Amino acid sequence: MQLQSSSYKLNNQATATTTPVETVQNWLIKQLAEQLRLDPASIKLTEPFTRYGLDSIDAVTLVGDLEDWLDLDLPDTLFWDHPTVEKSAKYLEENYDLADAVSNIESEETVTETPINETQDNNNDKKGWGNLFGRFK
Amino acid sequence: MHQLKQYWVAERLDKDLGDPWTPENVMSFKQVVEIDEKEEFPHSEIEWLYNWKLQHYYVPAECGGEFTSFEEFLAFVRVLCRRDQTIGIAFTTLFWSFITWMAGTEEQKQQLAQYIKNENGAMCLGYSEREHGSDLVGGDLTAQKVPGGYILNGEKWPINRATISGISYILAKTDPEGGPKCLTLFMVDKRQLNPDNYYNLPKILTHGIRASDMSGIGFKDCFVPDSMRIKEEGDGLEFALKGFQVTRTFCAAFSLGAADTALRTTLNFAIKRVVYGKKVIDIPQPRKVLVDAFLDILICDCETIGAARGFHIIPEQFSVWASVTKYFVTTQIETMINSVYTVLGSRFYMREEHDWGIFQKVLRDNSIISMFDGSTVVNLHALMLQFRQLTKQRSRRKPEAIADLQKRLEAIFSLEQPLPSFNGEKLELFGRGADDPLQGLEIALQQLEAFKETTDTDEEVLEKLIVLGNLVLEELNAHDELIANSKFEYGHDQSPELFEVAKTYCTLHAAACCLQMWLYNRTILGDFFAQGEWLVLSLHRLLRTMRPLPYSISDVYVENTAQELLKLYKEDKLFSIVPFQLAHSPINEDRSYATSKLQLQA
Repeated sequence: MQLQSSSYKLNNQATATTTPVETVQNWLIKQLAEQLRLDPASIKLTEPFTRYGLDSIDAVTLVGDLEDWLDLDLPDTLFWDHPTVEKSAKYLEENYDLADAVSNIESEETVTETPINETQDNNNDKKGWGNLFGRFK
Repeated sequence: MHQLKQYWVAERLDKDLGDPWTPENVMSFKQVVEIDEKEEFPHSEIEWLYNWKLQHYYVPAECGGEFTSFEEFLAFVRVLCRRDQTIGIAFTTLFWSFITWMAGTEEQKQQLAQYIKNENGAMCLGYSEREHGSDLVGGDLTAQKVPGGYILNGEKWPINRATISGISYILAKTDPEGGPKCLTLFMVDKRQLNPDNYYNLPKILTHGIRASDMSGIGFKDCFVPDSMRIKEEGDGLEFALKGFQVTRTFCAAFSLGAADTALRTTLNFAIKRVVYGKKVIDIPQPRKVLVDAFLDILICDCETIGAARGFHIIPEQFSVWASVTKYFVTTQIETMINSVYTVLGSRFYMREEHDWGIFQKVLRDNSIISMFDGSTVVNLHALMLQFRQLTKQRSRRKPEAIADLQKRLEAIFSLEQPLPSFNGEKLELFGRGADDPLQGLEIALQQLEAFKETTDTDEEVLEKLIVLGNLVLEELNAHDELIANSKFEYGHDQSPELFEVAKTYCTLHAAACCLQMWLYNRTILGDFFAQGEWLVLSLHRLLRTMRPLPYSISDVYVENTAQELLKLYKEDKLFSIVPFQLAHSPINEDRSYATSKLQLQA
């Protein structure tokens, strides 16, 4: 339970101190916090995703993000069938080689994902797709 | 009969129904307008279709029916709806049986097949509720587990054919806590219920499709046995959404049927009406409006026929393709019908003056299509949630994946190739970023380049196609850049601008489908199709909605397209890329809206 508050910020650092399951949990908490504009510390491992305002279709979209991040093929109803951070991470641990998937991320993440995220963060004051039409102005 | 066998059922059905302009024929325009005015459900016309055994084509061959391909299905729903959308839609609620073919038990499938084929059975879909609209998870109809079954309580509304159908697919809440697994789907067979425990809601008076049984159904402590449950408790939303992928796509068939009649009845007028000493059809502006309407049908054909075939090849991509087709085709045809009424003049609004008032009925009836089975907003929203994945997938294509993509495109778009059976188990709630028609755009452009050496396609046409095709690619690249550089947002508070971006994506998708369709069928769909002038005009028409382009790209192509339109009209052939033979009409040449004096001037 103390996991989300203590290790959340360690996400980009070496995961030597965190297990693959914890890495996945941290990623989920980070995603939920960013997308739903919540304090990561307020997200509990055992609380259903829907309690935080993630609706049924968004939960499907989130599977796509997780697939992308882990480079795995996952069931499209993953977060419907395992509707908490804890349950979904556990399901992944039991059914996939998470250690392998997580180790592959470490090498790629900074190269591909960071540039896009950097530009997003600069526009955090604008909601959603606020910067979408910037290039036309 | 047409050389493509998949169009034979539609041809035969249209021939047997006979010319709709002959008042005595079943479902003639005179009759369907009378039915609409009376607002009474068309029982005897529906029975005619059962006697014709059309219902067998809604039951897959592996379940004992005649359904083999969505392409064939699309064609016959289209000829049904060119006569009357009310009857077309009422009969085609049978299509909801797809939920059972996809997710039912062997026993449920057998029972349903028997009910449809031998008992003239019909079904309806009870998903929406008065208080909740598209928010399915928010529904209030509950199913409480009891030994041997469930107790249903609540109402579903509005539902087409709620009262006059024996089976209702009902989405009920089995988990009061909510969430994506709170819903369970039931195939409720009314004949097995205690009549004291359910009731039909009154007919709703509607703007169009007035003779429909638009009503609702309510349950009060109603016991339904476990055998009526589809799959497991909590699986309701998943199969509801997957079922929508199938039915949303084929709402396009309703629109295309209406489009044919709207254009044909307007031509009936424009070809005979004389004003300012000329027939309306010979005045440049209305002639162009009618050509544009014809192009709209051809464009929507490429999108819809492509999708119908695509279902058999890439069902896993239909969370994207179904949304695109449902949005694009239904709204494009709505706009097209609204455009041609300017040619028809005030007669578009009259209820008996021209062709028994069929145009005003089409206009009213058709306006529901973009709304039901998932509205425009719902479809665009579903699409925009997948944009990041689509953009990433496109940027990551590798040479070997592109070779596979090319093979799939050929299987989808080449109308001569046989289709494998549809496999509903392969439907997915999200498409993992795959969208073959658009992601194969560069392949299509390479094929065009290669044509310079290998085909006898007119040099000027080919050159224009290459220029326009590259503009489509530029727009697609701009779209991807936009998505890659924007922040993603969950939920329903998406920006209005993003809805416009989604509409543009759909337009690009249609442009890609047109290109693909032409590339793979140049040798089999006749000279007009092969020459590709229509394709130049179509791409130009689509691109003009998103960037400044000259008004006209070739007056010669427009004139040649007008000639083709008139030829199809005179020969009673469907306005389509596959212009198969319709029932022959005796109405040509014998009526006139002009006085003899005016005709002499002409």
